Amino acid sequence: MMDWEQQLKLQAYLDDELSAADRRRVEAWLARDSEAVALLAELRRTHMALAVGERDHQLPESREFYWSQIERGIRSAERTPTAPERSSWWAAWRRLVIPLGAMAAVVLAGILTVSQFNPAPGRESEMTLADSDAFTYRDYAGGMTLVWLSYPAESESSLSSLVDTLD
Amino acid sequence: MKPITLFAFRRWWRCLWLAGLLVSVGTLLAADFKFEAQLIWATNDQKSPNPKHKPVEAEVRKKLSDLPLKWKNYFEVNRKTMELARGGSQKVALSEKCTLEIKDVDGGRVEVSLVGKREPVLKRTQPLPKDEILVLGGNAPNATAWLVTLKRTE
Repeated sequence: MMDWEQQLKLQAYLDDELSAADRRRVEAWLARDSEAVALLAELRRTHMALAVGERDHQLPESREFYWSQIERGIRSAERTPTAPERSSWWAAWRRLVIPLGAMAAVVLAGILTVSQFNPAPGRESEMTLADSDAFTYRDYAGGMTLVWLSYPAESESSLSSLVDTLD
Repeated sequence: MKPITLFAFRRWWRCLWLAGLLVSVGTLLAADFKFEAQLIWATNDQKSPNPKHKPVEAEVRKKLSDLPLKWKNYFEVNRKTMELARGGSQKVALSEKCTLEIKDVDGGRVEVSLVGKREPVLKRTQPLPKDEILVLGGNAPNATAWLVTLKRTE
């Protein structure tokens, strides 16, 4: 059984595409292999049939005119400018301003949130207007500040009246 | 690894922009501070003579017990809530003769003014983060005391 390479070799022999050495080898092979001879004869008949039986097709235009049309089409396609996606200022707006605006908004929100929920330790100031003996106690762990006014206990105009609704 | 397409990149930016917008709007809308003020009577008696008074909440009681105060029981006389805009001020009357005024100072500190019997008693400016409590107090007749607590709730 003849393989694909051998069949191609015979086709090349028929088309006179082999080197002299290969050509001699194929001729030696044909001298001892009848199957190869039969295939070569079949290929030769097919070649003859195509050469004789195939009708020439005459183009209405000449070959040069036909290819000039193709060439002109390629050149005009190369010259055609590609349509921009959108106007340039709008594209710049979308590409730069919107992302930057979003980032600025996130940063601003973060700053506002941090400053609101974790205010930096600020200065404390106190002015006791009616009591010079007030003292302040600060419980940092408990988050408590106590300002005690000693004024009411010793005075008739005491702040005890703040809770006079008790009675 | 799956390559990031231009479509996915644009979608990501769109989501980020929307998230930023929502957070900003939410933050601005939630910019107000909220406070709770209570007028409290401190005593060693088990009950208040005024039946309208009720014992303070357990959390407040626990906080007060951590302070160097000698009283065993605390009764809530009045309670008011206040909302404060940035830079704004708010005044509430805790009793007929006790008025508390608070004012936001630079968004981080609060100015507290206590007025008793139409006389300014105390003006104090300090940071008051969320859940921290400022207690103003003084002695009252019969070895009792009055307390005004101011807690920032939001």
